[in-house]
Amino acid sequence: MIRALLNAARSGAAEIWAHKTRSILSFLAIAVGSVVFIDAFSAIFHTYERLEKQREFSGLARMRIIQNQAASYSSPDDYVEPPSFGYDQLKKLREQAPEFHMISGEARSWRNVMEYAGERLVASVAGVTPEWMKRDFGYTLRGRFFNWHDMEEKLRVCVLIRRAPPPPAEKIYRKAYSTGNAFDTLLTHNDLLGKTVKIDGITFTVIGVAEEFPHSKRLQGFSGYREQTKVLIPVTTGANYGIVRGGGQLEVSIDAGPEAGFDDALRKVNNFLKITFGDGDFFLVENQLEEIRKNMAARLKDAFVTISLGMLAFIAGGIGIMNVTLATVFARTKEIGIRRAVGASRSDIMLQFMVEAVLLGLIGGVLGSALGWLWGVPLKVILGMGASPIKPWMPLISILIAAVTAFAFAIYPAWVAAGLKPADALRAE
Amino acid sequence: MTIHCSDLAKVYEGGKSGWPALRGISFGIKPGEFVSVTGPSGCGKSTLLNIIGLLDEPTGGAYRLNGRDVFTLSDEERSRTRRDEIGFVFQSFHLLNRLSALENVCLPLRYAGAGGDDMRARAASLLARVGLHGKEKKTPLELSGGERQRVAIARALANSPKIILADEPTGNLDSASSREIMDSLFALNAEGITIVMVTHDKELAARTGRNIRMRDGRIES
Repeated sequence: MIRALLNAARSGAAEIWAHKTRSILSFLAIAVGSVVFIDAFSAIFHTYERLEKQREFSGLARMRIIQNQAASYSSPDDYVEPPSFGYDQLKKLREQAPEFHMISGEARSWRNVMEYAGERLVASVAGVTPEWMKRDFGYTLRGRFFNWHDMEEKLRVCVLIRRAPPPPAEKIYRKAYSTGNAFDTLLTHNDLLGKTVKIDGITFTVIGVAEEFPHSKRLQGFSGYREQTKVLIPVTTGANYGIVRGGGQLEVSIDAGPEAGFDDALRKVNNFLKITFGDGDFFLVENQLEEIRKNMAARLKDAFVTISLGMLAFIAGGIGIMNVTLATVFARTKEIGIRRAVGASRSDIMLQFMVEAVLLGLIGGVLGSALGWLWGVPLKVILGMGASPIKPWMPLISILIAAVTAFAFAIYPAWVAAGLKPADALRAE
Repeated sequence: MTIHCSDLAKVYEGGKSGWPALRGISFGIKPGEFVSVTGPSGCGKSTLLNIIGLLDEPTGGAYRLNGRDVFTLSDEERSRTRRDEIGFVFQSFHLLNRLSALENVCLPLRYAGAGGDDMRARAASLLARVGLHGKEKKTPLELSGGERQRVAIARALANSPKIILADEPTGNLDSASSREIMDSLFALNAEGITIVMVTHDKELAARTGRNIRMRDGRIES
């Protein structure tokens, strides 16, 4: 049997080589299917990988308290100044919900001037609370982060964020389109820990330098937080010196901890808002768990659409292989007769055409896998899209599907070939 | 290996009641005989040869090959019998032009499960036996008609058959090549191989041990 298979493979390879153009056309569609499949596989895998990372890093039970901009009033007289969720409210919520993993408040300011050793540069500043460090921003901290004492005393301390070097492709992109960033350059060349800097003219001591995780280790979770801020200060200090705006209003992020307790946590936050601010619907609690789930479902849906396209490409490739094999059967009818005359059985003939078609499928699958990898890894990196997580089993599955498709679509032509009567086949011209 | 046909009939599909090629033929061939089958074109000679060689099936009558009723054989058994017991030599050679002379001879050996150097050595010795030593790598298109037919004879001998069925083996050859091929066939017959040869050539037929003359699907004599 193995020898028969080897003979059929040898004969198939010779036939494919003898009809290169025809063969290329038939396995190209299979190759396209393979590329699409690998892309979809890696997209699905990536989605789950990101979810896992998100869960590992900061959990999924996330919510955000934001001001309700859509609150309506029946007449202008009914309008009341919406209340602010500030530092005091945050502390109160913290006291009432000690089981929450994180309650972080943040007030941003986009353009501030920082001075160090006579050099002035533009840096965005954010006023934050001590639990800011628990959010899904991966970094290594040198020095220390803020504590509640810094908050209460409105101390003029700051933490600087040092960006990780960009990925190789982004580096090329940056070189071509950007002149670089003065803040990053300053932090790269100077150790500012323990030094003093001026922010909007006020002196701050640098108590920590947070270095962003390298690109390869960075979390690409669903809440996809990419830190743009460069300088962090206690939110109370920021408000006191008028550095951060927002009228005392904080953007509050909450990590309720285990997903199982999320509904209770949501209820607790809503109750807190109702008790603190009344029935005014001044705030909305954004359910990030739901967002993450929706996001994930959308990504999976996209991936399944891609897989369907891949299936279509495979089917088109399969039909191509069926056509080519049928054409081959008719073109080689006399050869079939000769082979039958010298002792080939129906199953030998069937095997020969099946093996030939499967070889075409395999070549298409291998070619498609190579192209899929080229697209998924080097090309996507060069284009700044981030490499697809292509695992070794993905090309293998893709090649297997290609071979199975070719096998399935070759059954009919091979059966036609095997069914030819030797005497009739020998008479064919 | 004996061949025994009784009341053999073959009707090809077509027309109202089909087209009868054989109309009840009965004869027997003993092992080691050299039998020629002659008759005008369309008299059913090739059809008879195809049926004897298990390339075609009769629509009536009985055919026993070495005592076995071939109607009861499965496709696998018929193929195995063709491969191991019967060798074919056709008028138009029926070689695969893509393959070398050696590969053409290897074909029946491959279907018999052979492979490797032993198989190639056997094929090369068969080619040498028919006078084609040194031409193993040539494709049929690079060989003369006589040489092609000799490759076909070497291929027919690959699995040491007991019967060789030759369908006008000299039909496409010049007289010198024809003589060589006939000499080869007589030599094989002398070794004990049964030969059934279809021919138009009455002189050739006269040289064989027995001649079956056919007309309109029947045996004349």
